[in-house]
Amino acid sequence: MNDRTTKNIGNLNNKSIASRIGAIREIIIFGLTVGLFIIFYFTTRGIMFAPATLRIIFVAVAELGLVAIGITMLIIAGEFDLSVGSISAMGALLAARFYQMGVNPFLALGISLIAGIALGGFNGFITVRFKLPSFIITLATMIGYRGLIYVITEGVPIGFRVIDTHPGFHRLLTGMLTVIPIPLIWLVVGTVILILLLNFRRFGNHVYAVGGHKETARAMGININKTKMICFMILGMLSSFAGVMRVTRIRSFHSLQGEGIALLAIAAAVIGGTLLQGGVGTILGAVLGTIVIVLIEYGLIMSGVGAYMYNLVLGAVIIIVVILNNVIEQRRT
Amino acid sequence: MGKEVILSLKNITKKFGALVALDDVSLDLYKNEVLALVGDNGAGKSTLIKIISGAIIQNRGEIYLKGRKVDFASPIEAKRAGIETVYQDLALVDSLNVANNLFLGREEKVSVLGGTLKFLRHRYMEKRSKEILDTLGITIPNIREQVKFLSGGQRQSIAVAKAAAFGKNIIILDEPTAALAVKEVGHILELVKKCKEEGISIIIITHNLEHAFMVADRFAVLRVGKKVGERLAEDTDIDEIVKLITGGTLVKNGKDGSERKIVNA
Repeated sequence: MNDRTTKNIGNLNNKSIASRIGAIREIIIFGLTVGLFIIFYFTTRGIMFAPATLRIIFVAVAELGLVAIGITMLIIAGEFDLSVGSISAMGALLAARFYQMGVNPFLALGISLIAGIALGGFNGFITVRFKLPSFIITLATMIGYRGLIYVITEGVPIGFRVIDTHPGFHRLLTGMLTVIPIPLIWLVVGTVILILLLNFRRFGNHVYAVGGHKETARAMGININKTKMICFMILGMLSSFAGVMRVTRIRSFHSLQGEGIALLAIAAAVIGGTLLQGGVGTILGAVLGTIVIVLIEYGLIMSGVGAYMYNLVLGAVIIIVVILNNVIEQRRT
Repeated sequence: MGKEVILSLKNITKKFGALVALDDVSLDLYKNEVLALVGDNGAGKSTLIKIISGAIIQNRGEIYLKGRKVDFASPIEAKRAGIETVYQDLALVDSLNVANNLFLGREEKVSVLGGTLKFLRHRYMEKRSKEILDTLGITIPNIREQVKFLSGGQRQSIAVAKAAAFGKNIIILDEPTAALAVKEVGHILELVKKCKEEGISIIIITHNLEHAFMVADRFAVLRVGKKVGERLAEDTDIDEIVKLITGGTLVKNGKDGSERKIVNA
């Protein structure tokens, strides 16, 4: 390490390359996104980018993206949450159930968001209070929260035909604003807020510090537990919101809703350049990662390759991106 | 000595269960001096600096800062009182850039919308970071560089600069030269001298007595929890300090008799 050290001193060329490299990760993922667009444009003979298809794609991007940006922030803080799928389903269930009981859907949404914060907060509390790995805790709550859903529903779907009684609510969550799908607007809003939080506020600095080196952060007087708790709670709220958005669109709650979201959201974060060991990652990367995942899914289906290929290709893409990121990192040092 | 005492420790005792880590240690730190705190492993150096920096609390004894009694319940309180500590491996967050590391935990913010929102002043912090580093003669090519890409010497410089910039009264350096290449040690020791010129009092812990002699004005020696000697750097040499550390001659250490002789000598 020390050889490298002395070599680097005074080598000004390192500087310009190094300062740009932070952006190189995003350039790769951006390039990947554009590349996929081009490939799928040809393989689907343009159908992929007909307005109607784009709309479906961007709604899917929004539903996954809201979870992905939240989980990215949590991973930067050095923790995990595998229970986001269950939390998002719980949010959807509560909205549908309260609506069924005659509660105004806006109020039901509020209850869902609070429940999301509470469930995320519970994950965080157990993790920081007992100093346990969040991977295990949220694996347990993923199963447990889902179990609670089954206890409540007994597996019976619940209708959520809010479009008939409250078209305004339906439109606000899944409608269109002229040509723009409103879910996409929600994703943009969430992305902007999280970017402000992470990169322009003190809290964000602490998130990066806590995930980068917990003990140093502690020595600098940062409240590690509080920082992590807030990340868990924000993620819980975003997951719940995404769940309500989905149940509004689908118009019916099924107990399986949201299964598998956690791993896809983590995949989006990783494709977007987030390091699983914490301290490194960007919200914008997570959004691009989400777009890549959704593009692969819909692109393959619409190219006629068939849905069965999707997981295989996605797995390959994740490995390639991670290797690329790693190579960049090694080059620098 | 006629110099102003900035920090005064009186009869500090710290026990961890049955183990007496510090036994009735009294020590003064003068303004504008570099005090080397030396001793073998387990002598109590780390415990002592942790007490000064608020990380642990003594069982008995008092601490006076500029003549006023202080009780630090946490490291934050010690920081507020102007005491900064650079721990061996807890100084920097690798994945943060230079400026963010310097300002970690005391970020500069700007209020918008009448104080309802506070945003970080990135530009300002970067500018100030440059100034802080320039003052101490540290050259870092790029202030936005993540510190993991810097050399050990550069990282240590930044950690010391951080302490110097915010430690109004005292900075404590825990083995600042331990993990450095030979070439870089000189830089760090220069930096320690510069901090002293800036009017800061410094406590430095090191196992390397040569390094200690290059910067220290005074030595305090601990052995198994007791202060066994204090020497001005100009009145002593490495041999004497080594004898104090090991207790007696290098060969005949251990039993009570020989220890006492040296202490009182």
